[in-house]
Amino acid sequence: MTPLDTLQAHSSFFVICLGGALALPLLSFLLCFYVSEKYSWATSVLAPFLMMASTVCAAVVLYQAWNHPAFTWQRVWFSIADHTFTAGIHVNNASALMLFVVTGVSFLVHVYSIGYMAGDTALRRYFAMLGFFTFSMLGIVVSDNLLLIFVFWELVGFSSYMLIGHWNESPAAAEASKRAFIINRVGDAGFLIGLMLVWTHGHTFNIEALRALPLDPAWMTAASLCIFCGVVGKSAQFPLFTWLPDAMEGPTPVSALIHAATMVTAGVFLLGRAHFLFTPAALNVVAITGAITALLGAFAALSQHDIKKVLAYSTMSQLGLMVAAMGAGAPEAALLHLFTHAFFKACLFLSAGSIIHALHQAQHQSHVNFDVQDIRLLGGLRKKLPFTFIMFVVSGSALAGLPLFSGFLSKDAILAALVHWSNTGDAWHWVVLLVVALVSFVTVLYTFRLVWTIFNGEEKSTASLVVSEPPVVMRAPMAVLALASVWIWFSWNPFSFSGWIYNHIGAAKDFHGGFVSMASAAWVLLALAVAYASRGRKLDSRLLAQGFYVDLFSRKAIEQPTLQLADLTHRADKKWIDGFLHATAYAQVIVANLTGWFDRAIVDGFVDGAAGLAKSIGSFTRSFQGGKIQLYIFWAAFAIIIFIIWTLL
Amino acid sequence: MQPYLISLLIFIPLLAAFLGLFLPATSTTSFRTLALTANVLQVIVLVVMLSHFHPGGLQLVELKPWITLNMGSWGVLKASYFVGVDGLSLPLVALAVFVLLVATVSSWKITENVKGYFILLLILNGAIIGSFTALDFLLFYLFFEFMLLPMFFLIAIWGGPRREYASIKFFLYTLLGSVLILIVLIALYVSVQEPSGSAPLVHSFNLLHMADASNFIPHALLDPHHISKLGPLSFRAWAFLLLVIGFGIKLPMVPLHTWLPDAHVEAPTPISVILAALLLKIGGYGLARIAFPIFPEAAIDLGWFVGLLGVISIIYGGLNAMASKDLKRLIAYSSVSHMGFVLLGLSSLTAEGTAGAVYQMFSHGLISAMLFLLAGVLSDRTANRTIAHYSGLATKMPTYTAFVLIAFFASLGLPGFSGFIAEVMIFLGAFKSSSVGGPLHESLAIIATSGLVIGAAYYLWTMQRMFFGVFNLKGQMSPEQLPDLNRREYIMLVPLAVAVLVFGIFPQPVLSIIDPYAQHFAEFVLRSGKSITP
Repeated sequence: MTPLDTLQAHSSFFVICLGGALALPLLSFLLCFYVSEKYSWATSVLAPFLMMASTVCAAVVLYQAWNHPAFTWQRVWFSIADHTFTAGIHVNNASALMLFVVTGVSFLVHVYSIGYMAGDTALRRYFAMLGFFTFSMLGIVVSDNLLLIFVFWELVGFSSYMLIGHWNESPAAAEASKRAFIINRVGDAGFLIGLMLVWTHGHTFNIEALRALPLDPAWMTAASLCIFCGVVGKSAQFPLFTWLPDAMEGPTPVSALIHAATMVTAGVFLLGRAHFLFTPAALNVVAITGAITALLGAFAALSQHDIKKVLAYSTMSQLGLMVAAMGAGAPEAALLHLFTHAFFKACLFLSAGSIIHALHQAQHQSHVNFDVQDIRLLGGLRKKLPFTFIMFVVSGSALAGLPLFSGFLSKDAILAALVHWSNTGDAWHWVVLLVVALVSFVTVLYTFRLVWTIFNGEEKSTASLVVSEPPVVMRAPMAVLALASVWIWFSWNPFSFSGWIYNHIGAAKDFHGGFVSMASAAWVLLALAVAYASRGRKLDSRLLAQGFYVDLFSRKAIEQPTLQLADLTHRADKKWIDGFLHATAYAQVIVANLTGWFDRAIVDGFVDGAAGLAKSIGSFTRSFQGGKIQLYIFWAAFAIIIFIIWTLL
Repeated sequence: MQPYLISLLIFIPLLAAFLGLFLPATSTTSFRTLALTANVLQVIVLVVMLSHFHPGGLQLVELKPWITLNMGSWGVLKASYFVGVDGLSLPLVALAVFVLLVATVSSWKITENVKGYFILLLILNGAIIGSFTALDFLLFYLFFEFMLLPMFFLIAIWGGPRREYASIKFFLYTLLGSVLILIVLIALYVSVQEPSGSAPLVHSFNLLHMADASNFIPHALLDPHHISKLGPLSFRAWAFLLLVIGFGIKLPMVPLHTWLPDAHVEAPTPISVILAALLLKIGGYGLARIAFPIFPEAAIDLGWFVGLLGVISIIYGGLNAMASKDLKRLIAYSSVSHMGFVLLGLSSLTAEGTAGAVYQMFSHGLISAMLFLLAGVLSDRTANRTIAHYSGLATKMPTYTAFVLIAFFASLGLPGFSGFIAEVMIFLGAFKSSSVGGPLHESLAIIATSGLVIGAAYYLWTMQRMFFGVFNLKGQMSPEQLPDLNRREYIMLVPLAVAVLVFGIFPQPVLSIIDPYAQHFAEFVLRSGKSITP
């Protein structure tokens, strides 16, 4: 499509709105730093306002771009020789929808943060980084080439680093932010190798141009798997997931936005964008990785005690489901789950934040201290926090995949796709399907356990506290997100996932999900019954609580050896290289001393000896010239005698 | 005016140094003014130069006879005053002028023996610009050696506690490098004649003539048409290796790098800045200007070895940075790691890799200047740079922390900063190398990516240890010693931070200067190297 066609297909109003949606978060970032420290409260008005404007723009973009030809815009970024590196925008259905979801959730989280972060000393940095994060995330969503995606990919990693470590005086937060960035960097190094492969063999980074290339397994398998490394890092897949539970040290709204709704789903989104690069062999790896992640996350969530860690492992598990769906060749199912998950998981996090916030306030007033995030200390909060309870139940139901909620539809789509995939492919595909079914079962268990422990039964540590619901700026975003967790937004029919989104975000395949959706409804209800029956049971497993010791393993098997290697190189520098130099220097000094000695003792000795010899000969002969006449006569006589003897003989 | 621009750039500081001799030693301000005036004049000349420069080949060339000695049957020795700039040297000259200005401002802290200090600084200034612009090997060598002495005294007199050790080490190391380069210089002098070819034989030091295989005297030592061998390698390959070692010491390249951390730790802040931002670049510049074009077939044959040394430098330097306990030593080792990318990019013999290498030199000049200034901020306040002695500085010095954060992330190659552009292009070039006939295997680029992870690890670990956590000091320091940045420091750091950001987002202006050179370099070395190989 030529640029002219694009111009005709998209009004200038559309372009302005797109520009606004992208630029306003960046503007928010810049302005928040510009505000003086004295008026830092102003950022909590400014930033949400700008984000609202951005959301409105994104809504217009979504409305106008939906089911239209993709909008593209391209400029040369820089060029070397005859290679041009472009920067461009590509907005199709999926990216327009993602644009709206990201700005929307970001806006809600901004509003929520007004209440949650009130009184924070670094409010400017907080809102600035939220703005910057949103901008970078939108960059990933709309970029039309892999290099630019990589740029924003790293930038979201940076903003994630800044936001996890927002309370950097806490050593745990500082540690978590560092680990998150480094683990992501490991994945990104793989991503970069993928870029090198693409550049060497495809000669371009432009996604549409790459799509036009013939499928060539010779390099595409390797390239796509390398790009998948980046996805494994960013979307917390096995084995690079350990940073996600640690990242819960960040403020809870950040967890909702970055570590649930948007950034971690960037990997899934990228899989959707670059799906054509993945050869069947590569897709198998993707599917297996996703299934393993989903399984590990779901079981680890079962025995966590920290409310946010349960949600973190749950996020990891859901991301695994999306990745598995991608691997099974069903990007539209994965993307549908991405969108539904963005809303209900953000709502769950905000509800958890609401509990944390309310209990912290109460603790402040009554000077009691306990870990408000430890669910073993909570209970019976239904009466004190009724609104939060409802929110939690609604979004939890969506997570569990109960019928009439959004999660049911998207999980159904994934299951239907997997059933289709298992029917058509190798036998081991069934294992993946079974794992996913098991995961959806366990999801119900841990969600139920979470809701039950926090809200039902007797109050424990909170009994004496006067707890009140958080302010309306926090409740309203939760309500909006909870509302977005019901089925109606995604499909008219609560039992059929093929609604307006599913059918238009990719080459949707209709899997005749009727049977699957009945089965999955029954399956989920069975899980609910099991969960209720076993509500009192505790699953105390160190293996699960520690996230299968992957973290421990990486510390012992990778980190410590690296540090030892670093120490070794340091010693090598000091001992071997410098040691060699010093030895050379000493050797030279010794040689110099030797030559010095040689000079003094031998050369000088010889010279001095010669001089001494001459002197002693001189003084000997001088002794002849005694000045006494008797001596001269004696020597003369002596000489004559000698002469006579000599001549006679 | 235009033909003398480069000479002006070289001789303004030298003239200022000469004037300085007549100023009273007691007047600190007069020397500061003198140095600053010279720098500002250089900036003006640079701006005029940039306005006259059009992306393309050598420009602003000045060619004057310098030494012509008739040696009878030995021919004529001819060295010229031959200077000019192209896509390789112009970015580095611009960098030098900018960084030297910053270094002068940073020298405000020097209070003892100001006269000697500023005169040496100005001599160093002229020598650096001269090295980057000389196109005659003898002239280059002269400037190259000329840098050594001021640097030695600047470290040995104004340095830290172990300055004598560090300066001697620096001097001996660099001298060794110079000697190796001198050997090649003489061998080339003997082997190359002026293109005219008529009697009498004119031996030339012209670098452009040396890069042309047809100018070699038949059967001379380094004649590419009649390659004679010494052991496993040809004489030309040995000469190439000598140059790689000679310039590698300057770069510095593992395992010839151990002078750098010591020199940096002991040098005063402005000297560290010049050392890291400019002097190291002369190593990379020398390889690109002299070693690769004159011995192209050796560059193809031994390119893998240079690339391997680059990868080793990247990883080894990074690991050493991780184990460093002193902030300045850490930054010094990070320089070793980043200069490894230059080796990797150059030896790829692709346009991307070459452009990336030049861009990396330019970008690392800005970033390392910033890093060493930031380390200097701590040295100035407490004379203590031990990482373990600080924690939670973010609460005490927020602005300082913000700049450190910018510099660290710029250095670890975050997109949006200039280092990213350079490193990406180097990676792309190094990986692509073998598919276009270059010498590097793909695995080198793949292994080098681990440098990205190591870089993130040591910077963020330092961030965590020194700046995050609860504010706490050890080692007999008091919080009053640590005020946040002052105006002078701000003035130095802001332009650097802005430059690093601008060149990271809009690389095209600099790249369009580098591009013709990079294309020509990669194409020339590959083509003429292939034509020489028997």
